[in-house]
Amino acid sequence: MSRIEIRDLVKMYGTQQALYGIDIQIEEGEFCVLVGPSGCGKSTTLRMVAGLETISGGEVVIGDRVVNGLKAKDRGIAMVFQNYALYPSKTVYNNMAFALQMAKMPKDEIHRRVQEVADILELRPLLDRKPGALSGGQRQRVAMGRAIVRDPEVFLFDEPLSNLDAKLRGQMRAEIKRLHQRLNNTIIYVTHDQVEAMTLADRIVIMRDGRIEQQGTPEEVFHDPATQFVAGFMGSPPMNLTTCKVTDTGLALGTANVACRVPKRLSPGDTVVFGIRADDIRPNVEGAAAVTVEAKLDLIEGLGTENLVHFMLGGETIIGKTDGRAKYTSGQTVSLALDMAHSYFFDSETGARIR
Amino acid sequence: MTNTIRTINDRGTPYLFLLPCLLVLGSLLSVPLYKVVEYSLFDNVIVERNPTFVGLQNYRDLLSDPGYWSATLNTVIFTLGSVIGHIIVGTGLALLVNADIPQRAQTIFRSLLILPWIFTAVVVALNWQLLLNPFGVVNYVLDTLGLISEPLDWLGDPALAMWSLLIISTWRGYPFIMVSFLSGLQSIPRELYEAAEIDGAGFWGKFWHVTVPQLKPVIYGVALLDLIWTFQLFPLVWLTTGGGPGRATEVLSTLTFRAAFVDFEFSQAATAAVSILVISAAFTVLYLRNEAQKV
Repeated sequence: MSRIEIRDLVKMYGTQQALYGIDIQIEEGEFCVLVGPSGCGKSTTLRMVAGLETISGGEVVIGDRVVNGLKAKDRGIAMVFQNYALYPSKTVYNNMAFALQMAKMPKDEIHRRVQEVADILELRPLLDRKPGALSGGQRQRVAMGRAIVRDPEVFLFDEPLSNLDAKLRGQMRAEIKRLHQRLNNTIIYVTHDQVEAMTLADRIVIMRDGRIEQQGTPEEVFHDPATQFVAGFMGSPPMNLTTCKVTDTGLALGTANVACRVPKRLSPGDTVVFGIRADDIRPNVEGAAAVTVEAKLDLIEGLGTENLVHFMLGGETIIGKTDGRAKYTSGQTVSLALDMAHSYFFDSETGARIR
Repeated sequence: MTNTIRTINDRGTPYLFLLPCLLVLGSLLSVPLYKVVEYSLFDNVIVERNPTFVGLQNYRDLLSDPGYWSATLNTVIFTLGSVIGHIIVGTGLALLVNADIPQRAQTIFRSLLILPWIFTAVVVALNWQLLLNPFGVVNYVLDTLGLISEPLDWLGDPALAMWSLLIISTWRGYPFIMVSFLSGLQSIPRELYEAAEIDGAGFWGKFWHVTVPQLKPVIYGVALLDLIWTFQLFPLVWLTTGGGPGRATEVLSTLTFRAAFVDFEFSQAATAAVSILVISAAFTVLYLRNEAQKV
């Protein structure tokens, strides 16, 4: 178990810059999730920590060692790949034992460790099988077993659940969380799925175009987004974001006027991006900050426990939530209240949060 | 009745499309094959209008001929030596070309290394005869380096001729293996090498635990194919050494050619050809079985 420090990490591919000075500190035993859209540099960062990509600038520190010049095998890491990367010609046992065999560990010790990890991951019945005879979930568990058996200082996960179906993904997500609680190793986990990020992470690092947009606990990045990008990326459905003008009494959302309090630094006539989550648009919000609008529903997505209702406000589609038992039909007009106590404002040019 | 006609129409159509191919194959392949087997059962074929049927006598004669057994042994040595040479050189060069080098350099190396394949056997034989001549470049270089005191007759010395032939055959044949292995290497997922690297495998570790197992199906199929081709190889041997000096590099294909077109013993040649056919057929069955398993 080690802490990891990534200092001013830069990656160049020829003249193309992929990472622009990434700084992350991960404490011992912390579960850090790098999340962001495709091409944001999260996998590149992970691979540079692993030693699979050269470092163009900056430093990676694992424990108290700068590992820039060390080979992958000497960094004390284990990695779980997106496609599992199990050796097809080896049995599950030998896949798990391979790293220990390479390290010339005594056979008895290898056997003991493999059996122990096989028990943790319920892999014992599969030890003699080859990867080709396993299901996706089983392969995933073997890939994790191969990493655990080495007893590394740091675990690196590169989108390990993206090849699984939704149900299995949920199960494996819980299994990884449970495993972290049990082993308490330092983990860097890359995903583009914000639900995975929210459920697994102690710390989330949200990346975009080779830069960090925000890092913090899941609660911080969800409830207190630093930028419009983070607000739109975290949460499902994403936060409603709409550009509007500040008026004397509040906001002009297209032709609709919403009376509300806006941050003090905004003045009437300013253009601003207004954000509010679907959870904060409901039929029955109470309190002084609630603003009621008459919404003509144009789409209803039933999720069982609740409905996502789509309606137009000032020329933009806005999503709100209603109780799953409530019966609505498309075209119906309903009163929905916006809980302005949980609204957000962003600079329309820079995307920075206006508080 | 109508149904029967319809069935014939339905079932017959595919065979109708196959007919031209079957006719061409039949006339170009099956007839000569049949004739060779037929000739091997007669004496004095082609040279006499009414050859005598001798049954298996030609086979008895062939099997009791020490020249045949010496050619068979040479064929085995030449075939195995060539195939092993092709695999070692082809694999090594495929790994080099597949290394993490700039795309342009990779293309240049690939084009250069494939050159031996595009030369005809005549050009290859002629060039190597010049190179290996007692007064050729090879002797000159070895002499300059002080490795030999007097020129060696690479193709004329019975002790060196087979080794020289193996070098020429390896040079001529490695590109096929290299190209086949290269396409196999490029289909191995990069993650497997990365996983092995993290697991602590070095170059040889990755080679034995990732490359070889992943290439195994390609290696087996390609080696069998190479075995079949090299086993029957005639032009390169004939044009380089002519089976000599003496019988030092005489292989079954040159023995057959010599019997037919030098000694005009067509029956004997046909018998030797049938023996080549039987062995080649056995390898072919193995190859087809391997291919069927892949499907």
